[in-house]
Amino acid sequence: MELRLNGEQRSADVDPRMLLVEALRDAFGAHGPKIGCLTGDCGACTVRVDGAIVKSCLKLAVAAEGADVQTLEGLADDGGLSALQQAFWDSHAFQCGYCLSGMLFAAGDLLERVDSPTDAEIREAISGNLCRCTGYDPIVEAIRSVAS
Amino acid sequence: MIPTRFAYEAPGGAEEAVAILDAAAEPRVLAGGTWVVPELGSGASRPDVVVDLRRAGLGTIAAGEGTVMVGATATYADLIGSALVRERLPLLHEMAGGITGGWAIRGQGTIGGSLIAARPQSDVPAVLVALGAVAHVAGADGGRALPVPDLLTGPMQTGLARGELLTALELPVQIGTHGYVKLKRGASSWPIATAAAVAVDGVLTRLVLGGVAGTPVELEPEDATMAEIHDPWDDELAPAAYRVAVAGPLAARARRKAIGG
Amino acid sequence: MGRRLVGDPVVKHDGDEYLTGRATFAGDVVLPGMTHAVLVRSTVAHARILGIDASAARAMPGVVAVLTGDEAIPLVEPVPSSVDPTPIGGHLAEIRCLAVDRVRHVGEPVAAVVAETQGDALAAALAVRVDLEPLPLVLDADEAMAADAPLLYPEWGTNRIVGGEMGSSAEEVDAAFAPADHVLEGVLRSHRGNAAPMETRTHVASWDETTGRLTMWATTQNPHPLRSTLASALRLSEAQVHVIAPKIGGSFGLKMFGNREDFIVPVLARLVGRPVRWHEERAAALLPGAREQVQRWRAAFAADGRLLALDVHARSDHGAVSAGHGWGMGLVGAQTTGTGYALEVCRVAWDVVATNKAPWGGTKPYGKDGATLLAEHVMDRIAETTGVDPAEVRRRNFLQPDAFPHLHTTGLELDSGDYEGTLDLALGRAGYPELQAERERARAEGRRLGIGLGFELTPESADVPGALVSGFDTATVRMSPSGQAIVLTGVTSPGTGNDTAIVQLVAAELGIALADVEIVQGDSDRCPYGFGNISSRSIVTGGSAAVLAARDIAAKLRTVAGAMLHAEEGEEIVLGGGMAEIAGDGDRHVPIAVVAGAVFSLGYILALDIEPNLESTRTFRPPNIRHTPDHRGNLQVYTTYPFSMHVSLVEVDDETGVVTTLRHVIAHDCGTVVNPAFVDGQVRGGAVMGIGSALGEEFAYDDRGVPRSVGFKTYLLARASDVPPIELERQVTPSPSTLIGAKGAGEAGFGGAQAAVMNAVNDALRDLGARLDATPASAPNVLAAILDARR
Repeated sequence: MELRLNGEQRSADVDPRMLLVEALRDAFGAHGPKIGCLTGDCGACTVRVDGAIVKSCLKLAVAAEGADVQTLEGLADDGGLSALQQAFWDSHAFQCGYCLSGMLFAAGDLLERVDSPTDAEIREAISGNLCRCTGYDPIVEAIRSVAS
Repeated sequence: MIPTRFAYEAPGGAEEAVAILDAAAEPRVLAGGTWVVPELGSGASRPDVVVDLRRAGLGTIAAGEGTVMVGATATYADLIGSALVRERLPLLHEMAGGITGGWAIRGQGTIGGSLIAARPQSDVPAVLVALGAVAHVAGADGGRALPVPDLLTGPMQTGLARGELLTALELPVQIGTHGYVKLKRGASSWPIATAAAVAVDGVLTRLVLGGVAGTPVELEPEDATMAEIHDPWDDELAPAAYRVAVAGPLAARARRKAIGG
Repeated sequence: MGRRLVGDPVVKHDGDEYLTGRATFAGDVVLPGMTHAVLVRSTVAHARILGIDASAARAMPGVVAVLTGDEAIPLVEPVPSSVDPTPIGGHLAEIRCLAVDRVRHVGEPVAAVVAETQGDALAAALAVRVDLEPLPLVLDADEAMAADAPLLYPEWGTNRIVGGEMGSSAEEVDAAFAPADHVLEGVLRSHRGNAAPMETRTHVASWDETTGRLTMWATTQNPHPLRSTLASALRLSEAQVHVIAPKIGGSFGLKMFGNREDFIVPVLARLVGRPVRWHEERAAALLPGAREQVQRWRAAFAADGRLLALDVHARSDHGAVSAGHGWGMGLVGAQTTGTGYALEVCRVAWDVVATNKAPWGGTKPYGKDGATLLAEHVMDRIAETTGVDPAEVRRRNFLQPDAFPHLHTTGLELDSGDYEGTLDLALGRAGYPELQAERERARAEGRRLGIGLGFELTPESADVPGALVSGFDTATVRMSPSGQAIVLTGVTSPGTGNDTAIVQLVAAELGIALADVEIVQGDSDRCPYGFGNISSRSIVTGGSAAVLAARDIAAKLRTVAGAMLHAEEGEEIVLGGGMAEIAGDGDRHVPIAVVAGAVFSLGYILALDIEPNLESTRTFRPPNIRHTPDHRGNLQVYTTYPFSMHVSLVEVDDETGVVTTLRHVIAHDCGTVVNPAFVDGQVRGGAVMGIGSALGEEFAYDDRGVPRSVGFKTYLLARASDVPPIELERQVTPSPSTLIGAKGAGEAGFGGAQAAVMNAVNDALRDLGARLDATPASAPNVLAAILDARR
């Protein structure tokens, strides 16, 4: 199948039984999105497809034929980190890093939709993403620091 | 990875979709995938054909004569972002805005997919009943329309025949006020019980409970005592006794919200 | 100047790798020719295996091999027990990596399929026919101890895995109860839970016929002990086994050595002659249990709220036996009972019972949560009975700062502490009197608020005699001619940041920049033998060992620098900011990099007084572990005793039972803090897990022993919108026994948070006459308690 991955036209052999998250990882070599549940609950697989955030474990790979996909590997601008990525680092908003990719996409989506989100809006925006390490406070702080 | 092999079709319209459904032995319709894809992955569902509605053009929301036509594959995000829904179907708008799972799920889950899944543990069936929604169904022998309660024949069961496809929901424009309450065990939880009340000029016209039984329970609006719930729903997150116990308080809260304005 | 690094909230040194997707987890490892393994698991809770028919599966597309338990017997020894309970009178069961003869819980692996793709393996696994003859099952620990209970291991004659009694004698208990103003008794039940790290396990094993070596990328906390046990079971020398633990996505104890899958995967790799990857599905990852106990307690106390005696019987529902050390949580919970309080009479009888559920897996905070739940429940019961304020009850019972070292009746010797200090800090931050006023105001408005306290004390950094779970650890530090250093540790990191903190420590000792220190963890070939990450020990032991090794190198650098700077008698060399300089004379300095280069290239001129290498391997062994029994026959096996005080404010909806957590305050003390951001991170994460457990995180079985909890829709974790911000205060009471005074923060937060929330809920329900004597305070449980009280 063919798709546009992080700005680059790519094609790879994809088993039609693959979920999008599996195709991205195993066929296209993008390991940023993670697998945590395969039931759309943990959010570790969140990526952007055609501009919208998507839990990629709920999408068949073949359903993304021709789509424009962005993964963690494509978030940084020109080799540097985005403001959001830097904020996550500075605020210690990730420990084991497994939820990090999904959180960044949920956060990025929020900041596109809402200019100055309240803490409640931030918490709701990341409520589709589970974290077991941080207790969520530093993630909220990182997002808040970029929004202001 | 999904253990079983299946043919994958992404028809360009309802007619094409119906033709595929009619010809297949064990087809499965795919809208947002939030329930269907995990079922494929676990092997619980082993279709020969997966019919993906992503390009079938069934996602539009349009005004009709005193109604709003909501396409079956309209997502919760579509409903939230629609001025038409916000203004003319505020109960539906409120419900969509309370769907959990984050904004990715809101962009992936569809109203039609949720209705056809017919789970008690969902906001959609009871709200559509409270709004008097009519289901538009396409089939090989032509189409039909039926009130949503007639479509919901049991928990996880619908009255769709072989080869039939839900294409849209027709909802009368809401008049009056409404009240909606939802009880969950936190953001990870599916709905345990919901209550939707609609009132006109301070008089309750509809009161529908979701989640307390296998299908939505419509109560007599002014029933001060709780009607008995037959076959209360029991699942991993709450026993039947709990749902019976909270049904009354939730109904009262929805009533107060609707009549309080 | 270098010392400033310790105590700084330095960011993760490799954060950019994570942020750009370059951090490699085991699931990211791809090898040429890699195959995929899927396990066939029992769907029945207790049964005899009559036969396994893999013929259909073997014929399916893409299948490379199918291995049953019987077929695996000649290929690998039974899984070695990671902590053997037989020395204390417990029972062992032989655990084969794939079940043989019987299955004892749903989910027990009975066969493995290897195929070209994951999809092929899954499909073939579904086609394996397992013929089972069901046996009577038991799903309750009390029922399992009844005389006529079905036995999981008939040769034992009992379902009791292990147990004992510790603390005061029966006579001492009777003597304390007799004259007491008040005596209360109760039964406290806690539910089964799983820590659910976001990463499930993935193992990738590769057998190289040419070199005769097994290489395994393993989601493991303990690469060296895993290497040792793998070598033993696979009948290889340790030199033939290479275990690499890449980045780990959280463990909380669940990735400790002793798991069956650790052995299945290498066996499959050797069998098929190709690399094999196994990825654990979430439903299987949720199986390892913890926390499920019945604690029967009696407390004797004075009218002024002082607890005089505590007598407890703690029964743990372990599930089937495993080769892991989940059973140890029953022992440690018993040892921890009553600690922190000036309790002279404390007796704990404990047993760990086998039932037809999935086995316990060591889970943060390793049984101490049960002790915390009990003690804090009793404290609130004392407050309720005597009318003394719950905070005052704790205050009157805490050990005072001058009471240390304090030998508890169970044998634990508490190192240092100021418990009242954390109480004052927590109450101050919470605004305790204002909270109480708010509670009354809300009551008048028909809203039901509750305030709950929870004091948590967690023994850390264990040493288990006879097991590869030791209280010491080792690190190697090397400096190259460029002046850059590398640290190789025996400890590992599940993501907590101890690696960055160790970099801070070493950079501080060597006087060089953080960026000039590289750290390697988790590679059994490269790193010195260590015990990995467990029991919050990584900074305490691994950090201390790295400091010792760095100090050796620093001493050499100072000697050589002294020669280069013509230092005179009595003039000291100071290392800092990349420079070696004469103390007090900034003009006489030389870059450390130049000094290092001189060791290697001018060794005969400038390095005559040292062995000309800049490498040291050192081990830190804490002094306060004692393996000789005390007067009660107890060993002292924990090094440090961090603690925290929690205050929870909740609202309870008395029509629906829904609990909302409004505020959560913690005053935490883990001794010296190397990196406050990382320590705060541990406390917050643990607290949210504890809040989540108080309200949900319930692993449930149906009456056939089939799990009802199979994923995150049926095992409910707390999300960001479910919990309040955690308000933190810090206190520092250094450990007198560790090199840098750190006590470890890895298990912080859970116990105190869970107890505080439970106490807050009970506070909210008190005037209804309702009380929860069982966790969780889920909406159905809370409403049931309210309705029961009404009848």
